Amino acid sequence: MASSSHPAVFTTQTPYPLPPQMFMIPTTWSRYQLSQLVNKALSLAKPVPFDFLLRGDILKSSLADWCTQNAVGEEETLEIEYIESVLPPQKMSNHPHDDWVSSVSCQFEQRFLTASYDGQMRAFDYSQNQTWSSSLHGAAITSFCVVPSSSSDFHLIATASHDLTAQLSQVSLESAHKTKPLVSFHLHTAPLSGVTSNSAGSQILTASWDALIGLWDTLVPEVDEVPEPPAGDRRKRRKVEGLKPKRKAPLIVLKSHTARVSGALFNDDKTAYSCGFDSTVRSWDLEHGVCTNTITSSEKPFLSLSLAPSSAPSTLLASSTDRTVSQYDFREPYALSSLTLTHPATPSCVVRSPTHSHQILSGAYDGVARIWDLRSVKGATPVASFKAWEGDKKVLGVDWGVRGIVGVAGEGGLGVWKVGESSSPV
Amino acid sequence: MTAADIEQSKKRKLASRDDLLPTETSNFSAPKQSLEMLSDDEGSDDAVSDDGQVDDFPEIDAASDSDTGGEKDTDEEDSGGTDEEDFLAEDSDDSLDRDIFPKPKTIISDITGQPKRVYPEIEPDYDSDSSTEDAPNRVGDVPMHWYDDLPHVGYDMDGKKVLRPARGDELDRFLQTVEDPSAWTSAFDKTAQMDKPLSAEELDIIRRLYANEVPDAGYDPYEPMTEWFTGKGKEEVMPLSAAPEPKRRWVPSKWEKQKVMKIVRAIRQGRIISSKPKTASKQEFYPIWSEPSTSHPPPLPAPKPRLPTNSESYNPPEEYLPTEAERAAWEALDPEDRERDYLPKKHASLRLVPAYDRFIKDRFNRQLDLYLAPRIQRVKLNIDPSTLIPKLPSPQSLKPFPNYKSLKFAHSMRTRCISVSPDGAWVVSGDEGGMVSLWEVNVGREVKRWKFETKIGALEWCPRVDVCYFVVGIEETLHFIIPPNLPSSVLLLTQSILAPTALPPAPETPSLVKWVTPPTSSWSPDMAILTVQLPQSSGLPKQIAWHRRGDYMATVSSGGPQGGVWMHQITRRHSQAPFKKIRGAVQLVLFHPLKPHFFVATQQYVRIYNLSEQKLLKTLTPGIKWISSMDVHPSGDHLIVGGYDRKLCWFDLELSDKPYKILRYHTRAIRSLAFHPTYPLFASSSDDGAIQVFHSRVYNDLMTDPLIVPLKILRGHTVKEGLGVLQVKWCARQPWLVSGGADGTVSLWCS
Repeated sequence: MASSSHPAVFTTQTPYPLPPQMFMIPTTWSRYQLSQLVNKALSLAKPVPFDFLLRGDILKSSLADWCTQNAVGEEETLEIEYIESVLPPQKMSNHPHDDWVSSVSCQFEQRFLTASYDGQMRAFDYSQNQTWSSSLHGAAITSFCVVPSSSSDFHLIATASHDLTAQLSQVSLESAHKTKPLVSFHLHTAPLSGVTSNSAGSQILTASWDALIGLWDTLVPEVDEVPEPPAGDRRKRRKVEGLKPKRKAPLIVLKSHTARVSGALFNDDKTAYSCGFDSTVRSWDLEHGVCTNTITSSEKPFLSLSLAPSSAPSTLLASSTDRTVSQYDFREPYALSSLTLTHPATPSCVVRSPTHSHQILSGAYDGVARIWDLRSVKGATPVASFKAWEGDKKVLGVDWGVRGIVGVAGEGGLGVWKVGESSSPV
Repeated sequence: MTAADIEQSKKRKLASRDDLLPTETSNFSAPKQSLEMLSDDEGSDDAVSDDGQVDDFPEIDAASDSDTGGEKDTDEEDSGGTDEEDFLAEDSDDSLDRDIFPKPKTIISDITGQPKRVYPEIEPDYDSDSSTEDAPNRVGDVPMHWYDDLPHVGYDMDGKKVLRPARGDELDRFLQTVEDPSAWTSAFDKTAQMDKPLSAEELDIIRRLYANEVPDAGYDPYEPMTEWFTGKGKEEVMPLSAAPEPKRRWVPSKWEKQKVMKIVRAIRQGRIISSKPKTASKQEFYPIWSEPSTSHPPPLPAPKPRLPTNSESYNPPEEYLPTEAERAAWEALDPEDRERDYLPKKHASLRLVPAYDRFIKDRFNRQLDLYLAPRIQRVKLNIDPSTLIPKLPSPQSLKPFPNYKSLKFAHSMRTRCISVSPDGAWVVSGDEGGMVSLWEVNVGREVKRWKFETKIGALEWCPRVDVCYFVVGIEETLHFIIPPNLPSSVLLLTQSILAPTALPPAPETPSLVKWVTPPTSSWSPDMAILTVQLPQSSGLPKQIAWHRRGDYMATVSSGGPQGGVWMHQITRRHSQAPFKKIRGAVQLVLFHPLKPHFFVATQQYVRIYNLSEQKLLKTLTPGIKWISSMDVHPSGDHLIVGGYDRKLCWFDLELSDKPYKILRYHTRAIRSLAFHPTYPLFASSSDDGAIQVFHSRVYNDLMTDPLIVPLKILRGHTVKEGLGVLQVKWCARQPWLVSGGADGTVSLWCS
C-alpha cells in the first residue's frame, strides 16, 4: 500500500502553531516532507526546519517504519509534536592548550575563560588570541565559576583546585597585573571537585573529595580566619605571586555524603543540590545546613550535576560513570530517574542550555559533545552531536553561553562551537 | 571287431595298394617286415631263442645283417597276403604284453666265462622313430587343412596322391563306435585323416598320468645304490695330501680376534645392545574366577509367550463373541491399533475349526520379538544438557561490576606494576622505562611523575589512611615517595613516620639492609623521602606486600639470600629476612588480612606460616606448574592462586590444602589476580589480553560453598610480545578496575 495515509494531529510548543485539525499523512513521509508540510501550512517567510516527536521519539525514518516498529495501527490518530530542529553545530575556533582544560566559561562577552590542569587561568577572545593568563594555583584547577559582582572594573572568579583550597580572585581580563587572589577557602582535606556561586554572587559552594561541601560568603575578611599551618608545610607558603590571600573559614559545612562530592550547586539562595560518588543526589537547606532530601540510586557514582532547563524547573540532571545522564525531580516523593540518556562513554559533564527550554549538552570521554532534547525521551538519541577533537581525547567540561556559543574543554584544549542559530528565546 | 581286425583291414588296404605297384613292393615292404622281425626279436627276450644269429653276433653285427636275414625270412614266409596278415596280427597281439623298453638278457660270455647282460640292439632305422611308422602320407608337417578341399590328403613316397579315406556319415561312425570295442581307445590321426587306435604304450602312458605316476615305465625310482668309493674294502686310509698341517689351522686367527674385539668394544660402549631376552612364554591359562563377577545384572530371560485366554477358545462362551458393531470397529482399526489381534469365533465342535491362518505371522512375530528385543537392562542416560550447567545467577543481577573501559593512561613502555591509593582516588603506575606516574583515577590526568634509572619492579601504596605514601621498588632499592597536594596534617605525620627526627635505636644484629633518609634541607617532592637499600645482588624487587596496618612490609626480590624475602618494619626502620632458608624460588608473599599469618608462594606450593609462633601451618598444593599470582580474600579464609599454566585455584583455607575449585578460563598464562576489598568481586588478567571479572560471594555460613560466577571478560589491551595484561588492581570503594598492560596503557574499567 504505497499510497496509504495516516491520520495525525500536530501539536507544538514552538511559536509556530498549526490550527488544530486532522491531517492525513502519507505513511511514506519522513521528517523532510513533514517539515515542508508545516512550513507550507504556516506559509512562513523564512523556512524553519522542524523535527517531529512521536510519543517522545524523534522521527528518524519514514512514518510507516516508525508505525511498524512501535506497532501502531493505521486507524490510530497520531499526535505529532514538532520542534525546531537543531542545525548541525559548526566549529568556530580551536584554542590549543599546554595542558588539559578542566573547565570553561562563556559568561563574558567576547571572552572565553578556561581553567587548566597546570593551575593557570586563561582568557581568549573570539579571534583565537590569548588575552590573559594567570597562575592562580600551584596545582591543577578542577573547576571555576564567575562570581557575579557589581564592580565593572574587575571580575570575581572562584577557583577550586587540587591543592585542597578554593580561591576567590579579583581579575581583570585586560591586564595580568591587576589579578589578585582575595580569599582562600580552607576547609577541605582532599582535592576539590567543584565550586559554584549563587546568582547574587554572595555565596559560594565548594565540593570536595573528602565528602564535604563548604558554604562560604564572598566577603573578604580582614584577618585570617584560619590560622597558618605550622612551618614545614612549604606547599602552602608557595602561594602565587607572594600575594597572600586571606584565609577564610566556611560558614557552614554540609556533611552528609559518604564519598566524594563531585558537584554542588545553588538552586536559590536557600537551597542547594549536590551529587557524589556515593550514588546520591541530595538537596540541602542552606540556612540550617542540613540535608533535606536524598535520592539514592544504585551504583551510579555521579560525576557532574546541572539544573535542568527551564521547561523542567527544580529538576536536576546528573551524569554518572555508568554512562548515563539521568534526570531527577525532588518534588516527587519517591524520586526516581524519569529520564535516562545513555552514552557510549563516560559522560563527564552536563550543562543546560541557557536559552532553550528543552536542550541540554553533555560531554563524554569519547570526545563527543551531544545535544539532547528532553522531550525526546524514548529513543535516547541526541538531536545533535559533534566530535570536539580528532582522536580519543576526553571532554572534561562544557559551557553553553548565550547566542548558541558552546565551549568544550578537555584534553585537546578548548573548542568553540556554534549551536542552534535558529533557536529562538522562549 | 577287435583292434586287430582294424589293423588287418588296414593292412589289407595297403596290400591292395601295394598290388598296384608289384615291382617295388618287395623292396619297400622290406622295412615293414624287418620291423616285425625286430619286434619278434624283442618278444622273445627271455627265451634263448632259436635265432642263432642273434646269439652269435649280438654286438658286432650291423643291423643290416639281421635285416637281410629278416628279409629273407619274410620273403620265404611271404606266401600269401592272408598269412602274412595273420602273422602280423599275432605279432601285434604279442607286442601288447611286451615292454616298450628293451630288457637285458643275461648270458654267459664266451670270452670271460662270466654272465653278462646283453641288450638288444637299437636299430637306427625307421623302426626307431615311431612317427614315421607306416605313414603312407609323406606330406610332412604341414597344416592339414591345406587339403581340406582336395580329394587327397597328401602324397606318398612315390609322389602319388594319398586319397582321403572314406569317412562315412555320422550314423556309420556311431555304429562303428558301438560295434568296435576299441573305439574308445582310438584317436583321430590328422595325417591319415582317420581314427587310429592308440598303442598299448600310449595307453599305458595315459594310465600312468592318470595315476600320478612317472610316465616312463622303465624308470625305477628305487634303484639300488651303487657304492663306488665307500663300503667295505674301499675305505681310503691314506691322506690325499702329504703336506703338513698349516699353522693357521691351530693358531688363533688374528683377524678374527680383531673382529671379535671390535664387537666387544661396541658392546662395552653400548653401541650394540643385545636384544632383550624373550619374555617367558605367555601364560595361556588364567584363573577365570579370580575377577569378581560383573556388577551387571544377568540378561533377562526371554518373555514367555502369552497363554491363550477364554476368548481364544474354539467354543467361547457367548459373552466373548463380538457383536456386529464390535466386529466392524475391530476391522476398521489398523492392525497395530487393535487391542487384540483376533476375533473370538464359535465353532460347534473342534472338528470344524479351520486351519490357523495366522500361524506363520505369529511365529514370525515371536521370532522377531526374541531377536530384536534386547534382553539387557540398559539404564539410558536421559539427561538434558542444560541441566548439567550449574545454576548460576545471571550477571545482570550481580551488578555492579566493571563492564566498560572508561579511560586509559598511556605509558611509553610496558607497565608492569600499578597501585591504587587506599582511598581509591589516585593511581601510581610504573613502567619498564623507570617512569612512575601518579594520576587521578577518574579523569586520567597525570599529576606528577618520577623518573628512576632502572625499570620499576613493584609499586605499592601504604594501606594506612592517616598517612599517605607509596613505595617504589627498583633494582636493589626501595624508594618511599610522598605524593603532592596532601593536607598538612597528613603530610606531617607521613614525614614523621618516614623520616623521624629521633631515629629508633639500631637493632642488636646489624642488618644487611640500609635505611637512608636524605637531610631535611634537600627534601623535594621529586625525591624519595626514604630509601631502603637491599643487599647487593638481590636484584629487582618483584613484589611489595603490605601488612594491613601499614607498619610491616614484605618484599620479594628476584635474587639474593633467603629466597629474596625481606620483612621491613617502618617504625623501627629495620629489615630482616624471615626465612633462614627456603625451599624453592619464592614467587609471592602475602599477609593474612586478619591473622598473623604469612603466605609464601613458591613455584608449586603455597605455604602458610604463623609469624607469631614462627612455624609452618599448612602447605597448599594447587597443582599448578608455576604460580604467577595470588591474592587472599578480605575475610582471610579464601585464597586464589593463579599460574602460568592458565589455572586458577580457589582455596578454602578452612577446608583442605587442595583447591576447592579450579578454573581454567584464560587461554594464556594468568598474570595477576585481585580481590576487591569490599565488593564480592575478583579479577584475573592474562597474557591473552583479557581481564575476567568474577563474582565471588563468600558466605559466613560455613556450610555454604562460595559462589563463583564469571561475570565479564574485559578486552581492550593488546597483546604485545606475548604479554597481555600484567597487573590488575581494584579501586577501593568503587567497583572499578585498573589494569596495566604490556602495550604500555593503564586502563580504568568502570561499572
